Amino acid sequence: MGGEDGLLVGLEIHQQLACSTKLFCACPPAKSEEFPYHFERRLRPAQSETGRFDPAAVFEFAKGRSNMYFWNPESSCLVEADEEPPHPISKEALEASMLAAATIDSNLVDEVHVMRKIVIDGSNTGGFQRTAVVGLGGSFSIDGSRVGVQSVTLEEDAARILGEDAASRRFALDRMGVALVEVALEPVKGDPEFVGRVALHLGRALRSTGRVARGLGTIRQDLNVSLSGGAVVEVKGVQKLNLLPKVVEYEGKRQRALVQVAARLKESGVRRVRCRTGDVTAVFARTSSAALRRPLGVGGRVGCIAAEGLGGLLGWEPEPGMRLGKEIAEVARANSLGGVIHSDEFARQGVAESEASELRKEMRCGEGDGLVLVAGPQEVVERVIPLLMSRLEGAVKGVPAETRAATDAGETRYMRPRAGSQRMYPETDIPTIKVAEGLWKKVLDQMPEDWSTLVGRLKGKYSLSADLALKVYDSGDPEEFERLAHSLRLEPSFIASALVDLPVRLAREEVPERGYSPQVIVEALKAVDAGRVAKEAVPAILGVVGRRGVSVSEAIGELGLVALDETQVAATVDRIVGAEANLIQEKGEGAFSQLMGEAMRELRGKADGATVARVLRQRLDAALGKTSRAGGDQPS
Amino acid sequence: MGDLSGYGGDALKSLKEAGAAIGDVLEAKTPWGEVTGTLVPRYLYGDGDHLVLKLRSGYNVGLRVSGLKGVRVVAKGEKPSFSPPAPPKPAKGLPRVLIIGTGGTIASRIDYRTGAVGPAITAAELYSLVPELSGIAQVHPEIMFDIFSENITPKHWSRLARRVAKAVKEGFDGVVVAHGTDTLGYTAAALSFALAGVPVPVVLVGAQRSSDRPSSDSSLNLIAAVSVAGTARFSGVYVAMHLGESDDKIAFHRGTRVRKNHTSRRDAFVSVDVPLAAVWGRSGLEYVSEGLPARGGAFRPRPRFDGRAALIKFYPSMPAGAIRAARRAGAKALVIEGTGLGHVSKELTKELAAFVKAGGLACMTSQCIEGRVNLNVYDTGRDLIHAGVLPLDDMLSETALAKAMWVIGTGASGARARELMSANVAGETTPRTFPS
Ligand SMILES: [Zn+2]
Repeated sequence: MGGEDGLLVGLEIHQQLACSTKLFCACPPAKSEEFPYHFERRLRPAQSETGRFDPAAVFEFAKGRSNMYFWNPESSCLVEADEEPPHPISKEALEASMLAAATIDSNLVDEVHVMRKIVIDGSNTGGFQRTAVVGLGGSFSIDGSRVGVQSVTLEEDAARILGEDAASRRFALDRMGVALVEVALEPVKGDPEFVGRVALHLGRALRSTGRVARGLGTIRQDLNVSLSGGAVVEVKGVQKLNLLPKVVEYEGKRQRALVQVAARLKESGVRRVRCRTGDVTAVFARTSSAALRRPLGVGGRVGCIAAEGLGGLLGWEPEPGMRLGKEIAEVARANSLGGVIHSDEFARQGVAESEASELRKEMRCGEGDGLVLVAGPQEVVERVIPLLMSRLEGAVKGVPAETRAATDAGETRYMRPRAGSQRMYPETDIPTIKVAEGLWKKVLDQMPEDWSTLVGRLKGKYSLSADLALKVYDSGDPEEFERLAHSLRLEPSFIASALVDLPVRLAREEVPERGYSPQVIVEALKAVDAGRVAKEAVPAILGVVGRRGVSVSEAIGELGLVALDETQVAATVDRIVGAEANLIQEKGEGAFSQLMGEAMRELRGKADGATVARVLRQRLDAALGKTSRAGGDQPS
Repeated sequence: MGDLSGYGGDALKSLKEAGAAIGDVLEAKTPWGEVTGTLVPRYLYGDGDHLVLKLRSGYNVGLRVSGLKGVRVVAKGEKPSFSPPAPPKPAKGLPRVLIIGTGGTIASRIDYRTGAVGPAITAAELYSLVPELSGIAQVHPEIMFDIFSENITPKHWSRLARRVAKAVKEGFDGVVVAHGTDTLGYTAAALSFALAGVPVPVVLVGAQRSSDRPSSDSSLNLIAAVSVAGTARFSGVYVAMHLGESDDKIAFHRGTRVRKNHTSRRDAFVSVDVPLAAVWGRSGLEYVSEGLPARGGAFRPRPRFDGRAALIKFYPSMPAGAIRAARRAGAKALVIEGTGLGHVSKELTKELAAFVKAGGLACMTSQCIEGRVNLNVYDTGRDLIHAGVLPLDDMLSETALAKAMWVIGTGASGARARELMSANVAGETTPRTFPS
């Protein structure tokens, strides 16, 4: 599925750049754990030349929430607080963004203009994000299909949300102002697997610059998803690459379901969904519905919307799990209400038959109409009802243009109406930047090796499997692998696997992350290299480091892992061979694997498997009289 | 030929050839493909070699004209029709507040097509941008000047003072003066003298962060200013600005005791050596200092200023020629910002003696900002007194300059001028200072 029915996906990748300072101030891009200072800000929508306010901005302002910003001098200054004008743009970041543009063949603009993009959800202290187009156009190909690039922009990251409630949102300023490069792609067919591959490729291309930040939270994907001819839905904040296909699939299903609801309405002759509203608190004075009793218990009100022609359609699932009623509930939740109760689920929500019929009488509507109940504080209910009404009225159009958030489960949730396109104006505090030829030359000189070439080289030079070579590349630090492959006398494939496979395995075994940090792995590898422990011991060592919080050396001591030299290995092997004389007589060569198993049970972690095998082979051959050996090793 | 403001050189030439105007949609052929966007104005000091297009995504990009293979107009621009949502109307019976604009923008609108930021001019525009005002007062906005605050002169102070005096006669319950923050302190001091005894609150208000940004401090400052101007029980000239960096409390400073002490912070304005006059929170005045004058009473404005005064900051090695230059420029009064308790070098002391002897008014304040001057402690000080230099106690230097211009503006000279300069006219000095 996907693609054939005209699902289109435009990807936007936001990748943090690795720079010594933030984009518009001298603060280091460091993460803070503690925030000794805070302040409060209320953001107000700006009016445009047409006299209108941006719908997304009004939506946020109407909530009346204030924003609390928490900061630490180690990671932010007055610039992030919007208490000081921005400093000139970081040259380092500008170059890195140009380099990123060059890896996907984007064309540099001649003069970079920093803009203010109005963002009023509180994630920027100023109420806007500073952003600038660096490159236009460009493309790359994936298995022969061309993927077009719309633009490459350099922008500042937003504040990190710490939490929110009905009264305020709390943000940390440490991340705010960190340089990001955003690559916006032309829409591709909405085949979830293909979209995943596009993102993977783009991520690799950006990493090949060697100038991007690594680790969780340093890359985010936004998606613009639409059915052909339909409104574009913006999905924000897919943090994990492997969620991308799921999100595309979910959003495709959701949009197709909404189109089917619209088609059903059309079939039944409903051109416009007319809504009436009323306060129906009195109807539920003695209700047994828990969902209503809770808000009513604290003095709340129940508002009702009667929507013509929507009877039976609110609970209908044209696609599994996709209902118009769920859409409405999400709008209510985005406004800090618990959700809604609609007429297709009255029974399940504990609304009595008698209450339902009284409600229909009160609202003067019939069975063909849908009813939606919202309960909560009066001012919230009054503010939310118009939003729900316009969402219900929009049912005839199918998919409304809105901004949604991706969840960790790969689904999407309503956030707010889509921002209008007219919400950018020049950042006059930053002079325009001419892209001189010299700068461009400098960037081209730093052009990195194309990522697929690099993976090919890793494969050939170090005899890695294709899979392992790619994993080394994706780990984000192929240089570290190459350094270790040169400095340690260990098999490159063993090093690679320790670096990229072992963390995955240990994470699955729920070993705490400190057990497989790059530094700890490298230390363990060095211990193997120095002959202190056998390579088989590495997972056990890391396990102890992770679980007990000790150093690699301490872990080796605790495990009693002291690498044995060959004489000591031979002594153990001899003992085993001696004890199993009967077995050897009986099976001859065939006894090897069983003997090897016994030897390794005793020697695992203390001796290298290959050494044990070699010694055992010698002794076994000797026992079978293949070679005459001096000494009294043979059983008499 | 349409408007092509800001463009020059090759860019202007190629735009003229294409018959383009600001706001038109252009297609520029670059070596790597076509770029389509709306032509936006070029800023002052931009070179003549680039044209700036606003892409459909909203971004501006600059393209080098010499690198283009052609420019053509795809569509002529359309003037946007201005159709704001109906603003809320103020309720009857609310206090009437005159809001005087002097430049800068207390509330503004953004033209996203061109990037221009325009001010709100009418009451309707103000209500539409800051709807809270409609619940506070009937506002009457009036633009008197449209200049940066660094271009304000004593002539503007006189005009402002006369307009406020007229507003009092017209029965306004209070006056708000929107003013750029750079010289807001000077104007506040000047109005304090010209309007000494004014029977209503006169509140000067500004914004440290531009009013086009959603985070601007302008709206809350304005709301507090209008609210206090309309309803406070006290009168006099005050400055209303953020108390801290949060959008919660607004500090009211006495017009003669306030100073801008930070280049950019919202709470840049501080009351020096005196407590705040008042603090406003979202539910109204939370604190009012004792001893503020009550509303009402007889009032005679003295709105004349004479700009022939100078403020001179003394520094080590300052040549005596600095004082002579001020005299040659026609200065009738000098405010010297001395070191410490109010000191200058021997050489300068001699020069000041000559200035006083010739009929000039020489006064001393301190560059320490906090604390009062005292010319009796050291020989240098005693020499200055002997030279006829008038110590100004704990008066701020900027306030002293505005006061000197006002004193000579009254026509006073000699002993009368010295007497007026030393008198406490509008709370500019206080006899007692307390540990903080
Ligand atoms: Zn900073």
